Amino acid sequence: MKPKTPLLPLGIAGQVALLSGVLALVMLASRPLLPAVAALCILLTLAGFQPPEPRRLLHPRRLLLLLLLALPPLFLLGPRNAHWHRLHYSATGAATAMQIALRFTVVMLAVEGFTRTLSISELAGFLERLGLRGLGFSLGVALNLLPALQNSSQTTWHALQMRGGLRKQKRRALSYLVITILSNTLRRAEAIALAAEARAFTPQRARAWPITRRPLDKWLAASLLAALLTLLIYQ
Amino acid sequence: MKFSTRELVLLAAFGALWGVVEITLGSVLKSLDVPLSGMLLSGVGLLVALIARLFVPRRGATLFVGIIAMLLKLFSLGGVIIGPMMAIFAEALLAELILSGLGPSRPSFVIAGALGTSWSLIQPFITGPMLMGHSFLEMWQAVINKAARILHLPQQSLWLIILLFVGLHLLGGGVAGWLAWPLGHHLQRRSQQQEAR
Repeated sequence: MKPKTPLLPLGIAGQVALLSGVLALVMLASRPLLPAVAALCILLTLAGFQPPEPRRLLHPRRLLLLLLLALPPLFLLGPRNAHWHRLHYSATGAATAMQIALRFTVVMLAVEGFTRTLSISELAGFLERLGLRGLGFSLGVALNLLPALQNSSQTTWHALQMRGGLRKQKRRALSYLVITILSNTLRRAEAIALAAEARAFTPQRARAWPITRRPLDKWLAASLLAALLTLLIYQ
Repeated sequence: MKFSTRELVLLAAFGALWGVVEITLGSVLKSLDVPLSGMLLSGVGLLVALIARLFVPRRGATLFVGIIAMLLKLFSLGGVIIGPMMAIFAEALLAELILSGLGPSRPSFVIAGALGTSWSLIQPFITGPMLMGHSFLEMWQAVINKAARILHLPQQSLWLIILLFVGLHLLGGGVAGWLAWPLGHHLQRRSQQQEAR
């Protein structure tokens, strides 16, 4: 299925600014202002990033985490001076629980939208332009290595288990495990480095990953900065 | 930070390894709610990052490994966890500051490991108020409760709890740093032997 295009046409800088701005706003907003700030942040996130998949967003693990974070204050923080039907809860706790739920929702939506909209290579390209030269190349190598490393670690672990696991001579077995995993990693790295050098690749001469720029980026970054300053002064 | 191709590949490999540790071991430890899982993860991650510093003995190498691991965590499945990302970056930064200041040696590895790992003690005081809206006092109470439960000590013995909990974190990280030095040298010798063959 083709991903939906975000409502606000933003470049990479705009998307990074949107994520940072939304996170800063929602974390710095005081309790009375939080509902309004959170609503604004959710609107901006939905407009600036690809809308998140409901299946991923409403994953039971996430909902459980939200409940675990938000429910305890409802009953444990302050006296239980309010009630809903026959359920008695603390009014102060309810305010705190609401605050937690709002912050959690905004952070989850923003990070989820950001990672859905932006690819890891685009982000690496952006960071390279900020001075982290070679990060794009390294990240590409790391991403390609990831499945191979996971496989090799699992194979090493299974091999160790077949030879008695960690039951006998725990320290020696553990050191064999660590050394084998690290040696395999180094061997793969060596092969990649040789291949890159054989193709005369140097990070200094490499073309940086192209980043998209949109006119709205600067305006959005400036508006978010202004909103942040206003919030800090107003509070 | 200017690294050669070979150095970048090595940093990528170590960053990927830290990422694998965070994604696989991290998920298992968090799901099983293993006590001190944060310390354990930081220790293993820093062990990898410190060994990377031996292979690429240049300023910024440890931080670079941390940034790669952090980005892999950000884009990992079931991600959306600001806490671990912040922790990876902060631990790498602390280790980098120590190693850049003192230079790579076994004592500096121990200090870098110990300080990096102790970040997991400081982190709740930052993420708690920022993400959850808890006050500093509430976070203090939560950390002390957790420490008392893990150490099987009554909450009245506050100073003993603090001393033991901080000591445990410093010790865990220190051991990771202590082990990273000989392990890194052993691996260096091994790869040199392989190259000679």
